Amino acid sequence: MKPILLENLYIKVNKNNLDQKLRYNDGGNVHMDFHGATNTTIEFIINKYGIDTMNDIFKKVGNDVYKDIKDHIKKGNIKMLAKHWQHFFDRENADYNISINDEEIILTVNRCTAYEHVRKLVGNVSPNFCDQTIKTNEALAEDTPYEIKTEILGEAACRQTIRKRA
Amino acid sequence: MIPSDHFTRFYNEVFKFLEDQGEEHLEAYWLEISKNQEKHTLKLFKEKGLKGMYEYWDHIRIEENCDMDLKLDDEKLELRMNVCPSLSKVLDNDAEPMKRYCDHCAGWIGPLIDKVDHHLVYDVIDRNKPQCVVKIFKDKEKAIEEEKNAKLLMGWPKKKK
Repeated sequence: MKPILLENLYIKVNKNNLDQKLRYNDGGNVHMDFHGATNTTIEFIINKYGIDTMNDIFKKVGNDVYKDIKDHIKKGNIKMLAKHWQHFFDRENADYNISINDEEIILTVNRCTAYEHVRKLVGNVSPNFCDQTIKTNEALAEDTPYEIKTEILGEAACRQTIRKRA
Repeated sequence: MIPSDHFTRFYNEVFKFLEDQGEEHLEAYWLEISKNQEKHTLKLFKEKGLKGMYEYWDHIRIEENCDMDLKLDDEKLELRMNVCPSLSKVLDNDAEPMKRYCDHCAGWIGPLIDKVDHHLVYDVIDRNKPQCVVKIFKDKEKAIEEEKNAKLLMGWPKKKK
């Protein structure tokens, strides 16, 4: 299905149609500098232990830290992932939109504020910075009936799609 | 994106991996984080001393949603963390918490305070409770005296004797 058709076929997410309780439902202020520490960590681990180790750690984040979302995906409730995206991309003031139907959910990030904040903090963002998204998503979908595809569209922009495996 | 709200849970996974590799691996990482933090703090701490440290942690108190009391006088800065959001999140976690999670804090702050010729006394009190007391002294002897009162005193890599 071509993205150009999305406006006609999909329901855009708003505050009212994802009324589910998140396992981690943070509020209060947002400390964006943590993304700088994530960037430092990615560089440190890859330089010292290699990219496979970094990916294994992201896999643990997907499988263990986000166990609750993964359990929902296993049961076919992919809207919980959309709720998670919505909550945290709102908190970080990102420019994004989510399209959702019964078969798939597409998150399009036009301006990732995490990436932009790191660029502002340190200048050069790790070339592996977006692996945190790609690899965590892969782990979330592993051993579930769904796949999550993460496409990098350019600096600070990506598309993440969760849909049933073919 | 791992949300900034969830960084500490990611951090926890990194710590568990490094702890499995050995103590020196954990310490090397804390030093890397310390170097990273120098970008935000070293100039401020060097130029303003305890007052600069107060400014930094007051900003952190607000931005990281800490339940923390800060007290500054001529001799020391005291941070009394009543509810630490970092450890609280790690404990409220579907992944297993690293048992020595609290150690990282002294692990990065200690080397930084050494660098600006002040003296850190870091009392974690209990690694399973999200609270601690941090005192930073101008005078080394006063810091050594204060260490005797700590319930669970933290060290850090290459701590100045």
